[in-house]
Amino acid sequence: MKVLFFATIRDLAGRKEDQASAGTVRELLSLLSDRYGPAFRRAVLEGGAMSPNVIVLVNGHHVAHLKGEDTPLQEGDQVSIFPVIGGG
Amino acid sequence: MKGWIGRVLRVNLSEGTYRSEPLNEEWAREYLGGRGLGTRYYFEEVGPSVDPLSEGNNLYFATGPLTGTLAASAGRFNVVAKSPLTGTIGAANSGGYLGPEMKFAGWDMIVIEGKAPKPVYVYVNNDQVRIEDASSLWGTETHEATDRLLEMTDPEAKVAVIGPAGENLSLIANIINDKHRAPGRGGMGAVMGAKNLKALVVRGTKGVSVADREAFMRAVKVAREKLAQHPVTGSGLPLYGTNVLVNILNQNGGLPTRNFREGVFEGADKISGEAQREGRLLRNKGCFGCSIGCGRVSFAEGYDHHGEGPEYETSWSFGADCGVDDIDAVAMANYRCNELGLDTISMGSTIACAMELYEMGLITKEMAGLELRFGNKDALVPMVEAAAHKRGKIGELLSMGSYRLASHFGHPELSMTSKKQEMPAYDPRAIQGIGLNYATSNRGACHVRGYTISPEILGVPQKLDPQSTEDKPTWDKVFQDLTAAVDSVGMCLFTTFGIGAEEIADQLSAATGIDYSVDALMKAGERIWNMERLFNLKEGFTSADDSLPPRMAQEPLPHGPHKGKVSRVPEMLPRYYDARGWTSDGVPTEDKIRELGLQWAR
Repeated sequence: MKVLFFATIRDLAGRKEDQASAGTVRELLSLLSDRYGPAFRRAVLEGGAMSPNVIVLVNGHHVAHLKGEDTPLQEGDQVSIFPVIGGG
Repeated sequence: MKGWIGRVLRVNLSEGTYRSEPLNEEWAREYLGGRGLGTRYYFEEVGPSVDPLSEGNNLYFATGPLTGTLAASAGRFNVVAKSPLTGTIGAANSGGYLGPEMKFAGWDMIVIEGKAPKPVYVYVNNDQVRIEDASSLWGTETHEATDRLLEMTDPEAKVAVIGPAGENLSLIANIINDKHRAPGRGGMGAVMGAKNLKALVVRGTKGVSVADREAFMRAVKVAREKLAQHPVTGSGLPLYGTNVLVNILNQNGGLPTRNFREGVFEGADKISGEAQREGRLLRNKGCFGCSIGCGRVSFAEGYDHHGEGPEYETSWSFGADCGVDDIDAVAMANYRCNELGLDTISMGSTIACAMELYEMGLITKEMAGLELRFGNKDALVPMVEAAAHKRGKIGELLSMGSYRLASHFGHPELSMTSKKQEMPAYDPRAIQGIGLNYATSNRGACHVRGYTISPEILGVPQKLDPQSTEDKPTWDKVFQDLTAAVDSVGMCLFTTFGIGAEEIADQLSAATGIDYSVDALMKAGERIWNMERLFNLKEGFTSADDSLPPRMAQEPLPHGPHKGKVSRVPEMLPRYYDARGWTSDGVPTEDKIRELGLQWAR
């Protein structure tokens, strides 16, 4: 699946997008943390669970309105990862 | 009084006179300051039915009790008058340094009455007030005018000025203060222009006293620490500014594209906060007393121009909404709006509307002077210049905003407005709560009247499904009331990402010596909201005006995460009225009016 990175998460990944395969959002965040290192891990995971300081969208829908970190993923999905941000 | 100075300066331009008067203490307690207190004075002294571009439309520069204090991000002021764009009560909020300077000069509010027989500027230096000839400044752009006014008065003074757009009575003209900040919406620049008032210049060397210094500093410390620790106000906004929203709104399918025909823009990343930070940012910048520093000092490559911005709204209006993915062209249009004195939201959206009319063949190449197609980056600046100077037929039409433009061609439905003011950068079909807020905003479509994007998209303070409608009427009411209070105490709305009503009430109580509980603060916000509503009802607005353009209900989003969705404002509106304690026609009930002490406004 395609994974897109934004704001500080993009800095930590060192790229705008990547490809990955994982069964759930939590597994994806763990896999990406292995790939990008401890700073990335600290940003997206907290005690092995999805950090409250990230926003993860699956196909444009916030995982909070799907099944949270247990949201299942399939090939062809697009996952977008943001830090908690704001503006106006 | 503490927090408040206790004095109002009243300047009459028709008579060339001024006088000092005591601030109405009872009104100050109930309506706080800024937007609330300015509107209370306006309602009392002007009332409905005045022509907004006549000398009878008083203009109130109003600070809040926290403006100019050490309270968190308390550098705000409001400009209140009847809006020439919407015909509603208008209140435009700005940061920078002018508001605090008014307090330092010894004034809570500066009221401008009448119309000068020739162009003037008002210079307030503490207690000294002068009404000076501005003939030599008439026609100058905002930055040049500011520099010259500082030379003519005091280099330490703060300046609020209009550009050619305000002088030419463009209905989307703004006021520019401190060169880069703007009371932007509703055409307040035209109100100044109609008064022949080029600028307000303020210099103050006094201070602001608070009632309980120790309690105040404790409350300030709590608020500032929370802001520093919160990911939005402590790192997100300082690093990326508001423009960081471009990508997340686009990924959510809620970034209005090509005059709201779509909700996903293929070029979003090129105009995003990430792109801005990577190659166009010189530094960030804060307003008075602000620890957030969301301002962007930037440059436009290839244009030999620098300035501040673009903010998210502007990247959207000139970018996605016009189908333009060139970050430099967008920035340049932004800079020119600031220099000419135009509201970037309304200007960009009006150009987007003109692009749709062009593609329908209703605006011709001869009329526009160029190919006014979506995506033509080279169209932006010429259209901005034309609007500011009312150059040609196209400039005349653009300067009046999209509703009058689209109506001229027989297609008012192509104007993406509510109450004739352009909708900001969030699509109501993808995000239901913000649509309800646009429809019910007392100054026409506006995101900073009730920013439900925070829970609906950003998950702050909790995560709401953007498509849900059950919970949105209550959320909209709470956000609208809190915002009215924040706008009135003199703090920046962005603080509410990191702190809540409790921290605001604590700072306000310690500063004023009046015990404002959270309930009392929220009640003041609700009072202000209902007062604005009662004003608009007297102007003839009805529940039929609490609506969005037909496109929002009739044309589903064509693709993206919310493909097939439409806005459901009509479904939410009865529950919103109910939550507000209004009748089914959207009129505050007698019980609500009594509860809020608004009998005077009936």
